Amino acid sequence: MSDRHVLIEPGRREMMIAAGAVLLPLSFPTNAQAAMASEAPLGLGREQAFDLDWRFFRGVADGLEAPGADDSSWRRVDLPHDWSVEDVPGGQSPRQLGPFDKTAVGGTATGYTQGGEGWYRKRFRLKALPADARVEIAFDGISVTSEVWLNGHLLGTHVHGYTPFAYDLTPWLVRDGENVLAVRARNLGRNSRWYAGSGIYRHVTLNIFPSPARIARWGVGAWTRRILSGHAEIDITTRIDNADPALTLVTRLRSAQGKIVAEASTPASGGVSQSLHLDAPQLWSPNNPYLYSLETELRRGTLIIDRLAQPWGVRIVTMDAANGLKINDVSIKLRGGCIHHDNGLLGAVALADADTRRVLTLKARGYNAIRSSHNPASATLRAACDRHGMLLIDEAFDAWHVPKLNDDYSKYFREDWQVALAALVLSARNSPSVIMWSIGNEIPERSTTKGMEWCWKLANEVRRLDPTRPVTAALNGVLGEPIIVSEKAARPGFGGREDDASSAFLDVAGYNYRLENIEADHQKHPERIIYASETFPHDAYDYHALAERAPYMLGEFVWTAMDYIGEAGIGATKRIPNKGMPYYLAQWPWVNAWCGDVDLIGHQKPPSLARDVIWGLSPLEILVQRPVPEGQVEFVAQWGWPDELPSWTWPDATGQGLAVRLYSSGDRVELHLNGALVGTKALTASDKMRVEIPVPYAPGTLEAIAYRGSREIGRKRLETVSAAARLRVTPEKPRSGRDRQSLSYIGIDMLDAQGRLIPEGEMKVRLTINGPAELVAFGSANPLAIGSLRANEAMTFRGRALAILRSTGAKGTVRIEARADGLQPAAATVRLV
Amino acid sequence: MDAPLYPPSQAYEQPAVVPHRMDTNATSIGALLADPATKAIVIAEIPNFMGRIGNEQLKPHLYNFSPRSLVQFGVFKADALDRVDRQLATLPPITTFAK
Repeated sequence: MSDRHVLIEPGRREMMIAAGAVLLPLSFPTNAQAAMASEAPLGLGREQAFDLDWRFFRGVADGLEAPGADDSSWRRVDLPHDWSVEDVPGGQSPRQLGPFDKTAVGGTATGYTQGGEGWYRKRFRLKALPADARVEIAFDGISVTSEVWLNGHLLGTHVHGYTPFAYDLTPWLVRDGENVLAVRARNLGRNSRWYAGSGIYRHVTLNIFPSPARIARWGVGAWTRRILSGHAEIDITTRIDNADPALTLVTRLRSAQGKIVAEASTPASGGVSQSLHLDAPQLWSPNNPYLYSLETELRRGTLIIDRLAQPWGVRIVTMDAANGLKINDVSIKLRGGCIHHDNGLLGAVALADADTRRVLTLKARGYNAIRSSHNPASATLRAACDRHGMLLIDEAFDAWHVPKLNDDYSKYFREDWQVALAALVLSARNSPSVIMWSIGNEIPERSTTKGMEWCWKLANEVRRLDPTRPVTAALNGVLGEPIIVSEKAARPGFGGREDDASSAFLDVAGYNYRLENIEADHQKHPERIIYASETFPHDAYDYHALAERAPYMLGEFVWTAMDYIGEAGIGATKRIPNKGMPYYLAQWPWVNAWCGDVDLIGHQKPPSLARDVIWGLSPLEILVQRPVPEGQVEFVAQWGWPDELPSWTWPDATGQGLAVRLYSSGDRVELHLNGALVGTKALTASDKMRVEIPVPYAPGTLEAIAYRGSREIGRKRLETVSAAARLRVTPEKPRSGRDRQSLSYIGIDMLDAQGRLIPEGEMKVRLTINGPAELVAFGSANPLAIGSLRANEAMTFRGRALAILRSTGAKGTVRIEARADGLQPAAATVRLV
Repeated sequence: MDAPLYPPSQAYEQPAVVPHRMDTNATSIGALLADPATKAIVIAEIPNFMGRIGNEQLKPHLYNFSPRSLVQFGVFKADALDRVDRQLATLPPITTFAK
C-alpha cells in the first residue's frame, strides 16, 4: 500500500458531493491502484501517477528529445528507477562485479558505482480537456542534473539532485494527439561524497487543472499556533495562482475516520490567511503519530476547480537550553540516526514501501529521529516519518560555494540556492515530522567573513519561507572566532551576545563529533541549544548519558543508523600486522560504508545490539570477538565497531581464549559455558554498560545472565550451530499490494538441522519466482562487491540474503523458491491483493 | 501552550570580533595561516606544516579544523602544538577577522 495518498480513502468523492459541492471530474487517486490506471488517457486532477511505461536508454547522445527520435529499441522501465545499481553493461569480472566497477570515477565515495548519462522518454495522450486547462508535470527528484523536454521544447534544467520541481506543459502540449516527454539525466564526474544513484529515482506525477486558477504549487502552509484547554488554533496561509473574486477557498481538517472536524471558507485572492479552531485535537507525536487530512479546495460557486489533500498533524515543538526539546509540552530526547538516501539493494529508488520499511526498522531499534544527510528527503521517506512518528531534520546542502569535490553542487550553488531552499522548505513544511531545517553539513567556509554572511542569508531565507521551525547546521571541527552580532543581524533576542562564527546565526547548533566540546561550550554559551548531529557509534553511551543529564543537549544522531552504498569501508574492521602503521584504508572491493547500526538489508549489527542496551530496549546482549591470529591486531576504523558477533560458533578456535563482551544495564553479569560458571563481573558506571570476560572456546552453549541487585533482569544464550542443512524463505509480510509501487521483502536464511541461523554462512542461493511480481533486487549485507544486485542468484552473508519483489499489477499469489547446493530448498508465498 | 516563531532578522551586518588569542585548539588552521605572525610561528615549529594539510580531502576544511583536532588522525603531534601555543600566547589579542 502506498503512503502517498493514504488519507484519501475510497468513498471520499461521494462524501464531498454530499457536503454540498459539485465535483468536476477531477481524478484523486484513492489508492495505489491508481498508478495502473494512469496508462489510460489522463483527465483532470492532481497527483496522477505518471511512473509507468517509460522508455530508457543508458548512454550519451544528442537529439533524443526530438519527438520523432527512434526509441523503439529502448528498454521499458517503470519509475522510480536508478541505473547505477544495475549491472555494468558488458561488465568483466573481476574488475567489474554487478553494478560495481573498480575504475568508477566516484571511487569509494560512490561505492565504485557508475554514473554517466541516461535518457527517458514517455508518450502520453490526454482526455479532452477544457480549453483553459493547465497541465503540469512534477518530479520529486532526478539524480543528479536533468533537462526535460516536451514535444522537443526544452522545459527547463534542474541541478539539485534531491529537490522536487515541476514544469508547466501547457504551452507545448498536443491536446488531441500524442505527446512525447524526454528527460536527460546526468551523473557526471566526482559530484557526490556518497552514493547518489542516477536517473528518475523518485516519483513523477501529473497535475491537470481545469483552469488557470489553482492552488499554487506548495502554496499551503499550516501550523499549530496554540494548544490550550483541549483546543487547537491552526493558522493556514494559502497562495492561489490567477485568483479572481468569484473564487472561494475552503480549508478543512478531516479526522483519520474521514469526519470534518474544522472548516473555514474565505473569498479567494492571491494570498489567503485562515484559522481553524479544532476542539479535542488528537496530537501528533512520535508515540502517537495521529494524522489529519488537511484539505484545500478552490471553488467557483459550488464547482470545485482544484483540490489538494495532504497529511497533517497537530503538534507544537519547542526547544530551549533550559528545558530541552518538547513536543506538545512533553520532554523528549532525540534518539537519532543519520541516513543517506539510498534504499540499500534498491539503490536510490524511492518507493513508499522501501522508505516505510526503513523507518519501521529504525523505530523498532528505538530511534525516534532521522537526519536526512545531506540532502532533502524524498516525499516517500517524509510521508513514512509523518505516518510512523519519526522526527526528521531535513537538510539542504553538503556544500555552498567551496567544493568538497570538483564536480559537486558548489558549481550551481550561487544560482540555485534560493530555488533549492524554496523546494526543500515549501514542499515539506506541512510534514509534522520535520522539526528543523538544516542549511548545511560541514560547510568548509562557514566561519569566514563570507561564510558568515551566507549563513545569515540562508538562515534568513529559511525563516522567511517558514518561520515556524528552527534553523540548524551540522558543524564539525572548530566553530570559528568569537563574535558579537548586532541587534539588526541577530536572531531576535540574541543581539549583543558573544557567540561563535559558525553558530551565531543558527537557532540550534548541530555538533559533528564534538563530544568533548559540548559541556565546555555550554559553560561559555549557556543559551545555546545543542544536539550531536553526527556521532561515532562507539560513543553511544557517552552521548546518551550526556543527553540524559543536560537539558540543553537534545540528543544524538549516530553516523549512521543504517548501512548505505558508498563511503566504502569508513566503518571497516581489518586484521593487520601488529608491527607497522596501525592503519587501513578501505578501497575496492569495499562498496558499502559498513558503519551502520543496521546492515544494508535491515538486520542488526553489533553496535545496534549494544545500543539496544544503552537505550533500554534490552537488558543484556552477548557478542564474541572474532579471534585475532597471532602477529596481527584488529584495526577498527573511526566509524567502525570491533569485529564481534552474536555467535558461539568458532570451529577454528577450540581451546583458544575468546573475548566475550557482555552489554548490560544490570550491575552484575554471569557467564556459563555448557552449564559451568566461567566468569562473573560487576558493572559500575565506569564500565559504560560493557564488560569483557575471557572464555576458552569449547563448542556448546554460552549463556549470560544479568542481575540488578539479586534480581535477574536478562538471560541470553548463544549456541554452537552444526553444518548448514537447509534454507528458509520468510516473507516479511504475507500480503502485499498488487500495484506497481508495491514491494515484497523476502528473507532467505541458511539454517542448520535444528533451525539455527548459520552465523557466518556464505553460499550461493538461486531463486525462482512464479507469479505476478518481478525480482528487483537480490543480495546481502556484504560490504564488499561480490556481484549483481539484480540477478536471481546471490551469495548469503552471515547466513542471510534478501530478495525484493516488485508487483507487476495483477492480483495473485507469488511463489518464491530458494535453492542452494547441498541444502534442503525452501519456498514461501506472498499474496498480492 | 503557544508555538514559538523564528522570524527573520532585519539586515546583515558584519559581526564584531571579540578580542581573543589564537591557539591550536580553538583556532582554525585557515585563521592561523591567514595571519602572518601566527603563520610564521606555526611554520617555524612545524616546518612541513603545509605538506601535512595538503591532502585533497582536508584542503576544503582548513577553516573547520584546528591543528589540535587533527592530532587524533596523526597529522600533528601534541608536543609540537604545545610549543606553538606557548608562542601564540605571547602575541597581542586578535581584534579583526582573518582575511
